[in-house]
Amino acid sequence: MKIVVTVKLVPDTNAVKRIDPATKRLVRTGVETVINPFDEYAIEAALALKEKLGGDTTVTIFTMAAESGKEVVRKALAMGADDAVMLSDAGLEGSDVWASAYAMAQALKKIGFDLIICGALAEDGNTGGLPNALSEYLGVPALTNARHIEISDAKVKAQRETDSGYQVVTGALPMLMTVTMAVGEPRYASLKGIMGAKRKTTAVMALSELGLEKAVGTGGAKTEVVEIAARPARGKARVEEAADGPAGAKIIFDFLKERKLL
Amino acid sequence: MTRNVIIFVEHKAGHTRKVTFELATEARALADQIGGRALAVALGNGASTVAQALGKYPLDEIHISEDPDVDRFLLDPTVDYLEAVARSAGPSIVLVGNTMMGRDVAGRIAARLQAGLTSDVTGIRVEGARVECIAPKLGGNTITTCAFKEAPYGVVTIRPNAFAAASLETGAQVVQIAKPAGKSYALTIEAEVEEASDEMGLEEAPVVIAGGRGLGGPEPFDTLLKPLAQALGGTVGASRAAADAGWVPYSLQIGQTGKVVSPQLYLCAGISGAIQHKVGMQTAGTIVAINKDGSVPIGEFADLLVVGDAFKILPELTQLVQESKAAHA
Ligand SMILES: Cc1cc2nc3c(=O)[nH]c(=O)nc-3n(C[C@H](O)[C@H](O)[C@H](O)COP(=O)(O)OP(=O)(O)OC[C@H]3O[C@@H](n4cnc5c(N)ncnc54)[C@H](O)[C@@H]3O)c2cc1C
Ligand SMILES: Nc1ncnc2c1ncn2[C@@H]1O[C@H](COP(=O)(O)O)[C@@H](O)[C@H]1O
Repeated sequence: MKIVVTVKLVPDTNAVKRIDPATKRLVRTGVETVINPFDEYAIEAALALKEKLGGDTTVTIFTMAAESGKEVVRKALAMGADDAVMLSDAGLEGSDVWASAYAMAQALKKIGFDLIICGALAEDGNTGGLPNALSEYLGVPALTNARHIEISDAKVKAQRETDSGYQVVTGALPMLMTVTMAVGEPRYASLKGIMGAKRKTTAVMALSELGLEKAVGTGGAKTEVVEIAARPARGKARVEEAADGPAGAKIIFDFLKERKLL
Repeated sequence: MTRNVIIFVEHKAGHTRKVTFELATEARALADQIGGRALAVALGNGASTVAQALGKYPLDEIHISEDPDVDRFLLDPTVDYLEAVARSAGPSIVLVGNTMMGRDVAGRIAARLQAGLTSDVTGIRVEGARVECIAPKLGGNTITTCAFKEAPYGVVTIRPNAFAAASLETGAQVVQIAKPAGKSYALTIEAEVEEASDEMGLEEAPVVIAGGRGLGGPEPFDTLLKPLAQALGGTVGASRAAADAGWVPYSLQIGQTGKVVSPQLYLCAGISGAIQHKVGMQTAGTIVAINKDGSVPIGEFADLLVVGDAFKILPELTQLVQESKAAHA
């Protein structure tokens, strides 16, 4: 079975982010780039499945990102993935969800897969739209927010987390999944893994290999950013020492009244 | 270009989610600005009950189907029905709540309609013929305005609590949607299991009472936080430390790897305010923190930090709130 994990490279949460006023895009150079935290869970889910299923199961990492992200991709290989494919092309710059999903779908068709695992959400945009769009373009079902994944004979059964609990969902491969944190803490790369990653291949794909019928990048995007502004930072809190429980409660109660929240 | 506005109604067996009313209210305002009609789509078991509840909002038409397949199969029938309404309505902006379910629906329908998608939107502006969506991005540190280019359809996910819900009876027409023909459904929902008793999703609660490692165990979430949340009409959330410890399910986790919430009031106890937590709640209206330590990071961005013992303060606060509510009832 071939599992492909889609990984987005995002700026580190702790990094100070800057938007280029001319292009209105995030400046990705000079900012530490990391694997989108949700995608580490997707990698973990894939590696756990590989261990469980054994046999010829492989895990491929796929990312659409500039080639400079290769080092970050290597971290996923060090965790235990078998190989990686990067879709890197200047023509992809400025792609929105629509254009990204369209280009990625064509690349994934070319790579081939039985199961695609995506993170549920990328922290830069809080969009979570890509996996479902991808499933639509690929014509495969999307079992979203999955945990407790069981696969045998190309049949899939998983729990799908909802706001108030979960659903038990069944279906057949090929399919796409997004996973939740309940699949387990992402493993650390072992020293052996880190050494081994250097010998694993990271193929780089260009747009010209995909034979796209529709425009991608800024020109193909269905949306455009018209303005980006820094959100005014919240100020420091009013700090009040509570002498005891009732005093603390009174401070908060009065404050809520003052703010008309009561 | 004249466009209609279509809202996707989220409900559970006829119990309409709060964000839907916010969508309905905004749909009217937007439709009036762009010269179209405001339509709603409600599907599955309870859709006609939902149509009644929505009748109190200023919509033109409510399209419903109680087809049991909607609840039996994951997403496919839902998207097929929504597509059918969108195609028959013609050029439209589709509004969906930014919730677990809403994100799935939005991504699928956007791809199906070959439409752009803007997410987690907190404001919509019409500039000439263009619809512009305002959304906090990068953990709430920037505000991005994104416009749909000229295309028949656009899909928007709306952050709960960002738009007001205002009822206004207009006598919307209820329309039955015909079942889209020739479709197959790939994923079967075999069972539905409830874990949290709260009716309200964390993302749409107007008040969130959150607890962290400082609460020391699972019990205070039930005995201290829940009664306060109930008294204030909200729900309970948690830091990752609390979820990791197994005190609460991950579905209650707020932050970078949890949910992003924007309630009118965020009150937390025993949470230090790490950056990964901050990005999930810093756009809340008012932030109140209770912490033993006066020098915690949350003091840098909360509105009020009360330095004291959460175990002593919370029960007293709950009582004050309950008394005040009773006095005004
Ligand atoms: C990749 C990544 C993703 C992450 N994602 C998230 C996320 O989504 N959400 C999240 O929350 N965190 C996340 N974290 C973890 C985050 O860095 C912090 O570790 C976490 O938020 C700490 O939780 P806490 O505030 O409950 O615990 P602590 O930081 O341990 O704070 C506990 C607080 O309780 C106070 N306290 C103790 N006793 C009392 C008492 N009786 N009364 C009042 N106060 C008391 C203490 O003074 C202390 O400030 C992430 C980390 C990483 C690396
Ligand atoms: N450029 C990308 N390359 C690879 N995977 C991506 C990319 N963008 C998004 N994804 C996947 O889609 C998920 C959701 O992303 P988003 O829709 O941007 O929130 C991520 O967790 C990734 O698994």
